[in-house]
Amino acid sequence: MSTPDWVEPVARYMLEVGLANTLKLSAIALVGSSLIGIVLGTLLTIRFLPLRAVIRAYIEIWRGLPILVTIFIVYFALPSVSPTLRFDSITAGAIALILWGSAQVAETTRGAVQSIPREQHEAAAALGFGWVGRQAFVIMPQALRRLLPPLVGLLVNIIQNTTIVQVIGAPELLETAERQVERLTFEGDQHAIEIYGAVMVVFFILSFPLTRLAAYLERRLT
Amino acid sequence: MIAHLLLGLSLGDIWSFVEVNLDELLAGLRRTLTISAIAIAGASVIGLTLGAARAYRIPVVSQVAAVYVEVIRNTPILVQIFMLFYALPQIGIRLEAFTVAWLAVTVWGGAFNTENFRAGFEAVPTRYREAGTALGFKGFATFVNITLPIGGRIALPSSINTYISIVKNTSLMYVIAYPEITTTIYQIQALTLETAEAFTVLALTYLIIVWSLSALIRLLESHLALPEDRR
Repeated sequence: MSTPDWVEPVARYMLEVGLANTLKLSAIALVGSSLIGIVLGTLLTIRFLPLRAVIRAYIEIWRGLPILVTIFIVYFALPSVSPTLRFDSITAGAIALILWGSAQVAETTRGAVQSIPREQHEAAAALGFGWVGRQAFVIMPQALRRLLPPLVGLLVNIIQNTTIVQVIGAPELLETAERQVERLTFEGDQHAIEIYGAVMVVFFILSFPLTRLAAYLERRLT
Repeated sequence: MIAHLLLGLSLGDIWSFVEVNLDELLAGLRRTLTISAIAIAGASVIGLTLGAARAYRIPVVSQVAAVYVEVIRNTPILVQIFMLFYALPQIGIRLEAFTVAWLAVTVWGGAFNTENFRAGFEAVPTRYREAGTALGFKGFATFVNITLPIGGRIALPSSINTYISIVKNTSLMYVIAYPEITTTIYQIQALTLETAEAFTVLALTYLIIVWSLSALIRLLESHLALPEDRR
């Protein structure tokens, strides 16, 4: 059995452009969300009300908004405020995903940091660590164990949510699939089920092992 | 206040946007709430039945439910919406935008809710069910009188989180041009170019709904806590 002629160019475009951008977006969003989220979450444990209020607002807003709305705000509303805030679709999508993802990580980090016993802070202070050193070398390494399962879960959500960037035309996997479906339809060929089905399969292959890993880590590490 | 700081808008700008477009905004909001309500009801029914089937390992149903849950949870909901709306017509199944709108979030929410309720039912201590048996309850009666009320309470916070996600996910119906609140506001700003005002109103709408539901979780959590967990 040989594959039909339409498959090869479609698959090549979707994998080389679409999947590549999906993976790139996911990686950027994961790193950005983790770094910003861990810093914000740690700062949230400081008893300084104005700082806490600002970080709380950040978390509640970006967690509360649908990612689609955040993407619209970053891509359409920010440029109307200042022309310097004009981003291309991939950058705008990455920013929106990081705003949402970092809010998720910040909330989880707060819980993880607070679950480390007080004595650890006190012992580190007695050894002469300053606040930053205490957080970075004593508290965070322990908190990371608790943070790992939710971070893997977040990665699954990030990978799936990169598809939402399709609405502003960023050429990630779903967008490239849609372009190919439209091109083939225009040529009188209907292949939407096969192509969108393939997109589902690719996302399943990426997500399923990670979902399992998150569940496994959850059992092992907590 | 936030919009003021971020986007240089005054409350007057925002209010006049709402006033001028009030009818359309209300119609959009009503559609958002309608499909959310249908999906929340549907996802509850799916979650309760399939969650019970999973927890009690009812042959065949349990395995089918497991496949359903894994497929839905491990593929993006946006692709599921594309499948329903843009791919099914290829095999002669043409669904209206409204049908896809409520169906997609129902199927999605049902999968997550199946997991919520499965976990809730499995968390009911065995001794409670043994107590039921000792009282002379048969299998189904034990479920209705003991596992359901207690497991349901345990599953409540996570299931409300799923309902919050359902409301947020209705915004994705923008891609099938179903005129719920996101599509409505997007189309208004495309016409009037009041981009900042429009998206501020859109954001505030979702935040009010989502924050109200989160407040409800906290309220119910203390109210419905199992007696032995109350301190």
